Amino acid sequence: MNWDKDQSILLTQICTAVFAALLLALDIGCYWAMSWFVLLRGLDRSSVWYFTATIYGCSVFAWLLLWNLWGLLGSIRRGEVFTADNVRRLRIVSWCCVGAALLCLVSALYYPSFLMITAAAGFMCLIVRVVKNVFQQAIAMKSELDLTI
Amino acid sequence: MEILVNLDVMMARRKISSGELAERIGITPANLSILKTGKAKAIRFSTLMALCRELDCQPGDLLEYRP
Repeated sequence: MNWDKDQSILLTQICTAVFAALLLALDIGCYWAMSWFVLLRGLDRSSVWYFTATIYGCSVFAWLLLWNLWGLLGSIRRGEVFTADNVRRLRIVSWCCVGAALLCLVSALYYPSFLMITAAAGFMCLIVRVVKNVFQQAIAMKSELDLTI
Repeated sequence: MEILVNLDVMMARRKISSGELAERIGITPANLSILKTGKAKAIRFSTLMALCRELDCQPGDLLEYRP
């Protein structure tokens, strides 16, 4: 199958929308999902509230991240790729990863497996920061090219 | 320390308008304006060559180094 640029962006937008729908479902059913999880793992019943707090905390960062990703994809679709707005969006995405990583690090105090999410979020932050740095450099190069007559 | 573009001086000497010069050398009036106002960061040899050809001058007549 031969995918063109617009179809690829559309697929990414659909994936972003699916993630947003899943996140919304998690936000709505967080308490029940965590109650089931705690029961399944045989954890202390009171830890449901800790898990719920962690999930809602991370959810704030996740919504911010998805919103900025959506904006970034829309901007790319319009052909405005290397812009200051997109660098700002990527910076926000990287800070969202840092926020989620820190929250999970604190949450590891009551459930050590959160350390894995901390590492994943930290690594994702690193990747996004590198992409952001590439965008910044590309903007500088584009500006130079635009002013070469 | 800068490079000055004396394009407007040479255009006045040759009595040629911006629109006409832009058309003759094959760039947009907006890009010619960037060149005239000194906002350009670089100039291509092909553009410089076309400017020299149309204005009948040398690159040194258009560009001036000011320490």
